[in-house]
Amino acid sequence: MTTTMTQPTLATAPPPPPGPEPAIRVEGLRKAYGGRTVLDGLSFEVDPGEIFGILGLNGMGKTTAVEIAQGLRSRDAGSVRVLGLDPERDPARLRPLVGSQLQSSALPERLRVGEALRLFTRLAGDVVDWRALADEWDLTRLRRSAFVSLSGGERQRLFIALALANRPRVVFLDELTQGLDPAARQATWRLVERVRDQGATVVLVTHFMDEAARLCDRLGVLQDGGLIACGTPKELVSAAGGSVRIAFSCERTADLAGLDRVPGVIAVAHDGRHVEIEAQARASVLVAAELARRDLAPPDFTVTAPTLEDVFVSLTQGVAR
Amino acid sequence: MRTLIALTRTELRLLTREWAAMLFAFAFPALMLVVLAGVFGDLPDPEGFGAAIPSEHYVASYIAIPLGALALVGLPVMLASYRERDVLRRFAAFGVPAGAVVAAQALVSALLVLAGVAVVLLVAAPTYGIPTPADPVTVVAGFVLGTVTMLAIGVALGLAASTARAAQAIGLLAFFPMWLLGGGPPQRVMSGAMVSVADVLPLTHAISAVRDPWLFEGAATGADLLALGVWLTGALVVVGMLLRRRPQ
Repeated sequence: MTTTMTQPTLATAPPPPPGPEPAIRVEGLRKAYGGRTVLDGLSFEVDPGEIFGILGLNGMGKTTAVEIAQGLRSRDAGSVRVLGLDPERDPARLRPLVGSQLQSSALPERLRVGEALRLFTRLAGDVVDWRALADEWDLTRLRRSAFVSLSGGERQRLFIALALANRPRVVFLDELTQGLDPAARQATWRLVERVRDQGATVVLVTHFMDEAARLCDRLGVLQDGGLIACGTPKELVSAAGGSVRIAFSCERTADLAGLDRVPGVIAVAHDGRHVEIEAQARASVLVAAELARRDLAPPDFTVTAPTLEDVFVSLTQGVAR
Repeated sequence: MRTLIALTRTELRLLTREWAAMLFAFAFPALMLVVLAGVFGDLPDPEGFGAAIPSEHYVASYIAIPLGALALVGLPVMLASYRERDVLRRFAAFGVPAGAVVAAQALVSALLVLAGVAVVLLVAAPTYGIPTPADPVTVVAGFVLGTVTMLAIGVALGLAASTARAAQAIGLLAFFPMWLLGGGPPQRVMSGAMVSVADVLPLTHAISAVRDPWLFEGAATGADLLALGVWLTGALVVVGMLLRRRPQ
């Protein structure tokens, strides 16, 4: 796995072994709109066959970055290679290899689902049968429905199908589940996994942490024009080094004496009935062992680890401060 | 070419579902023809219409209404709507350049102009009769150049307007003066200032390039064709700049 580590705690990791040529390589990408710099030296790589997530607060340049990678926007400086091709200089060669679901786009209102699939597969040179595409993405029953009449989930399903009409090797999905209800989001996640399972590399732009944690093999957090962290969801959470919270019921204060001296425990709070301990992640086992040694086995003993969302907020707010 | 054909076929199919939007371009010229040609009649009026019979003047002039309405209103509104709603981005992301979508739209508009002209002639035939073209080759040349020029201007308007509403407002503002000065009353009854303005407008030349060789053998249309050529060149330069600057 090729990983660009920009977070200090991750940057100390040993260099990765040589891997396959990255599907996407972005180096020193810069882009400004007027006087406002949006991307300021952004660098990252995406491996073939992985789902790479780009996270970031609104307005941090996520969409700009992926639109530059697709050749839909020009860049001010830096190097971008997608499947070895420069999107700005080789758009004609790259376009048949890339599928795209844009954050903001539409089809003619009266265009029917079947017509859209037929049109886009024809434009792609009929490398995919539009009827098979409709079947695969559960769009056959909507074949005669006009675009304007589709629900949000149905539109997203259609957009994913259209993004695959040229059998792409790299697929860009920008805020795919924006505005969808929870059931439709989960259904869409399964579709994204299917895209990856079919062998495509997926770049997913999102600001839903549960979506990123569920789908992405690796994530990059974009802030102030560059990646402030990059790695697997687990790597990001562990590298952030956030404390865990241990909670259980205990009415006798005496039973808690000395718990604050267990290695890794940061603070112990007791309100007379409930105990809450803030500790380093590895201390949770030691606390459990100490309670067991004291013949205490509270049935509601829980350890809450920091989530990706906690890490994201911590990272982005930390930088913002 | 494959892309252009696929897009044009789709646009034509979509048009059959939004025919009401094009009703103006078909109904308005027929209505105006019946009213105005009826008012001025078919008696010679040398002071107003020179050597032309008034009804023949209007029959030959009013094929410009579907041309003007579709080129200055219908086409720009459709293009601006596609840009506003990010339809062009959707196609661009699939490798279909905005220019191809624009060309398909212009091609569909050209077919609609032909249909609009056919409606005018169908209405004129049983009511006032259709004058036999005196110089049919020049009529066709003038019609083709006039249509291409007006559609190029329409594309420029559609790409320049930020929204479909803006395109509609600009298009209507351009269409009515152009039609009234270029294809309405004969220039003999206009003031000098009105004639000067009319002589600059492209629709005036598009109409003259068709009407004059239609009604008079040996009519001089060189100045009209030259003016249309200048307008076409200017419009294509603007279209090229807009497609480069704001392709989606």
